[in-house]
Amino acid sequence: MSSLPSAPPKPPLWRDTRVLRWAFQILVLAIVAGVIYWLYSNYQTNIAKSSIPTDLRFLDNPTSFTIPGNDLNQSQPVRDAFVQGFYNTLRVAIVGILLTTILGTLVGIARLSKNFMVRLVATSYVELIRNIPLLLLLTFMNLAVVLQTFPRIEDAWLPLDLFVVSNRGIAIPWFEGSGAILLAILATALVVTWLVVKIRGRVSDSTGKPARSLVWGGPTFIVLMIGGWVLLGYDWVLPFVDDRATSGGLRLDPSFFALLVTLVVYTSAHVAEIVRGSIQAVAKGQGEAADAIALSGGQKMRLVILPQAFRIAMPALGNQYLNLIKNSSLGATISYFELTQIAQITVGNGSPAVPAFTLTLLVYLMISLVTSVIVNIANRRLALVER
Amino acid sequence: MSKDVFTDATKMSGDRTDDDAIVVMDNVYKRFKDFEALKGVNFKVGKQEVVVVIGPSGSGKSTLIRCINRLEEHDDGRIIVDGTELTTDIRNIQEIRRETGMVFQNFNLFPHLSIMTNVAMGPRQVRRMPKKEAEALALELLTRVKIPEQADKYPAQLSGGQQQRVAIARALAMKPKVMLFDEPTSALDPEMINEVLDVIKELAKEGMTMVVVTHEMGFAREVADRVVFMADGEIVEVGTPVEIFDHPKEERTKKFLSQIL
Amino acid sequence: MTWMRRNLFRTVGDSLLTIVFGALALYVLWGLAQFVFVTGRWEIIQVNLKILLVGRFPEELLWLVTGSVMALAFWIAAAATSSLTTKETRPSLGIRIWHAVQRFGLLAATGLLLIALAGDVASVIIGGLILTSIVMGQLVGLLRRKIAALRTISSWIWHLLLAAAPLAMISATLLQASVDLWEGFLINFYIAIISIVLSFPLGVLLALGRRSALPIVRLISTSYIELIRGAPLFVLLLLAGVALEFFVPSTLAPDKIFRAVTVFTLFTAAYIAEIVRGGLQSIPRGQTEAGKALGLSTTKITSLVTLPQALRNVIPAQIGQFISLFKDTTLAGVALNVLDLLNVGTAITKQEDYLGQGLIYEALAFVALLFWVGSYVMSRESQRIEKRLGVGQR
Repeated sequence: MSSLPSAPPKPPLWRDTRVLRWAFQILVLAIVAGVIYWLYSNYQTNIAKSSIPTDLRFLDNPTSFTIPGNDLNQSQPVRDAFVQGFYNTLRVAIVGILLTTILGTLVGIARLSKNFMVRLVATSYVELIRNIPLLLLLTFMNLAVVLQTFPRIEDAWLPLDLFVVSNRGIAIPWFEGSGAILLAILATALVVTWLVVKIRGRVSDSTGKPARSLVWGGPTFIVLMIGGWVLLGYDWVLPFVDDRATSGGLRLDPSFFALLVTLVVYTSAHVAEIVRGSIQAVAKGQGEAADAIALSGGQKMRLVILPQAFRIAMPALGNQYLNLIKNSSLGATISYFELTQIAQITVGNGSPAVPAFTLTLLVYLMISLVTSVIVNIANRRLALVER
Repeated sequence: MSKDVFTDATKMSGDRTDDDAIVVMDNVYKRFKDFEALKGVNFKVGKQEVVVVIGPSGSGKSTLIRCINRLEEHDDGRIIVDGTELTTDIRNIQEIRRETGMVFQNFNLFPHLSIMTNVAMGPRQVRRMPKKEAEALALELLTRVKIPEQADKYPAQLSGGQQQRVAIARALAMKPKVMLFDEPTSALDPEMINEVLDVIKELAKEGMTMVVVTHEMGFAREVADRVVFMADGEIVEVGTPVEIFDHPKEERTKKFLSQIL
Repeated sequence: MTWMRRNLFRTVGDSLLTIVFGALALYVLWGLAQFVFVTGRWEIIQVNLKILLVGRFPEELLWLVTGSVMALAFWIAAAATSSLTTKETRPSLGIRIWHAVQRFGLLAATGLLLIALAGDVASVIIGGLILTSIVMGQLVGLLRRKIAALRTISSWIWHLLLAAAPLAMISATLLQASVDLWEGFLINFYIAIISIVLSFPLGVLLALGRRSALPIVRLISTSYIELIRGAPLFVLLLLAGVALEFFVPSTLAPDKIFRAVTVFTLFTAAYIAEIVRGGLQSIPRGQTEAGKALGLSTTKITSLVTLPQALRNVIPAQIGQFISLFKDTTLAGVALNVLDLLNVGTAITKQEDYLGQGLIYEALAFVALLFWVGSYVMSRESQRIEKRLGVGQR
């Protein structure tokens, strides 16, 4: 047959693409390792000079400070303070994310309203908030609103006779009784309601009559909640002013309140833009197709546009949630005892700075990671459903 | 091993001998994750030969020519282009890429550069030609593909047919030994197909060695020295245009042609 | 009238919404107007205007700052008007003036406000000088379009020439006046600009690294990016505030600004990396293949084909990142005690003359105004660029 030239010698290493790839990577690795080593050795020399410990033993030292509104006493180890800070961060993060989603979605939809006035107000709100720094907003909330505008406890505002608003915080009516059991009641009510909705859905599928899940599910939920409440002897406790302090109810301390409101207002402006953008991104054809099969405005929104918009918005929303969590670290500037504030104080009281802040960073990383995973799962589930 | 004449793609047309072979592919295999795109392909292209490759989608015809200039890495077998073997030696790869020109289905012009810069890029950056010389060469080539007046425009301002002609000029600027065409007219609106085919026919007349993957059978009849039919990663049948289109021998060839013609 | 009917009072529910929101809006606006014009005590701002804007920048060298602003205004005006690709057909003068008002009205109004607050002749002169440099810039730009000889100069060289003036002024300012004394609004700009410029090359490298086929490079880039993006900027600043000196040789004594710029640079680089990566992902694979087919080396393909396209595609996102960075520079104020605009704003309310008088509203309102105008104008310009890019390209 044909004669092929003899196979060429193996290429010299420095010209072989396979070798080159690995050589380049090893070079990059060496450079990065070199930089890290340089930083590390600097750190070691400097630390040795200043005789500051570099491990995590500081976690066992007593805190020598107390956290207001909490039973942490001065002799408990720093570790407990960190745990408390972690919980406080979670508190503001979870409530914040919930409220932001609600407010942001409403404002986002409002921006697309056919009513000019509604559109104007929503747009002004978004454009105003989006362009000022978060810290500015927070400072305003704290210094201006809470500390200066809210009255002193003697002249506390009592809106609707249900709340007590003062510069010590906002007290809201709260229940008296075990919180865990109440959660159990809530969970049971939710499960039963969900079952009712599903059954109604089945019935509707087979008979063709509308499911009216809201009409069925709503009252079910309410009845179960009230029933559980009454049967297990829960009661409301209204807050009242009792000689320079509030008694009863749940007191949201002022820095929590300021931080929460700021985070919600700020992040919801961004969420509103995302929601608006994703509703607009749902192709116009979708709306037209919905009109063509004579869906009502509400049905069109609920069944066609919003589900698709939500799918589009999910990644960006997840990003905003992460931002909210990270921004909660600014609570340290207004003495809300979340994680960063705790870290700052323990460092101020003698804990070694680098391990303390590094630990703080790692905790935030962990929270971010978990949130990302949750968002990714939600994302994937939304995507799968359409496949 | 012996092969029937009509399945042996290593037999070049005319009286070309092995010395005239510009491209040699010997027992070439290419696997993608779970799928074998080329199964032991033996193929030769001779000097000034025009070989047209046809076949259903997924037959491996694009993979075939993309292996020639290393846009795909073959897993087994040998590929030799103009005496240089295609191995992991980066010097060989670069040399082969200089000597082969490729025209893509989607033109792949650089949208942020002017037409002139697009065409002159190869000579300037790879052959290190000075700017003036490269631009003069570019203008000459643009004239050859009949659109010299577009030199200062940007790709987005040109029609599909014009863009593809620029792409041909860009490939020619490197003065390659063999031109590879990967379905050059498949992405064009019908009224523009002919202007591009005319340019390719001109090139063939001027003696350029070419491997053209296409569905344009009329073009193949007119210009091809050999037509190669591929299916399922193998070369199924080879012959002159008359042999393949009018007297196909293999079943698969007959089936394919009945679906197209 | 029909417009009102359709947009405000279409249905009963609609009318109700209009009334409720309208009342709300009026209430807020009325309160605001009262605050601004009647009850607000703006003396605190007027007196402290200089330290709010430039901190303790030496008085005698302030002309350098004015000069820099003038040179920058000149450059921007010239660059904008000398663009050779603008259409020659110009709408009527009236429309052009309306466009100008829309585009620059806000900035002009803010400038006038500052002059009014300062209330002295010097600031009026400064305002006039800046206006003059804008007009000069526009004239120079027009000259370029009209005079053939100037048109032959390549765009690059032209812009470089124009940029020479502001670059020179800014360098002079840097050399003459120690950065320690740069405070107020000035330091917000300074930190933002330096950080974005320094973070850019690092960000591009990280983006290329993350997309690399080489596993180790990819791992390193991804780890850096994800670690930084998971960390709150505030905590990083705090860490740098107390710990940066341990990581550098003791001969370098890092000051506040150094720490701030380091953190902002490293932080922003991760976000720029993600933006650029998005841009790179949007470039079709065929582009790299065409480059390879021509025989271009990978470096050449990246630098001549993929990167230029990617960067151009993500200019709006990059500007957005700069705006975020600009707003985040306020964090340096609380974390590192850098005396930026916000920090100075809260500090002035503690001055002897103004302590305990509840002037925090006025101070914060002024700070908010400056940040808002800066941010809003930048994002609006970014939208304009986005539109122009969308039209020019395909």
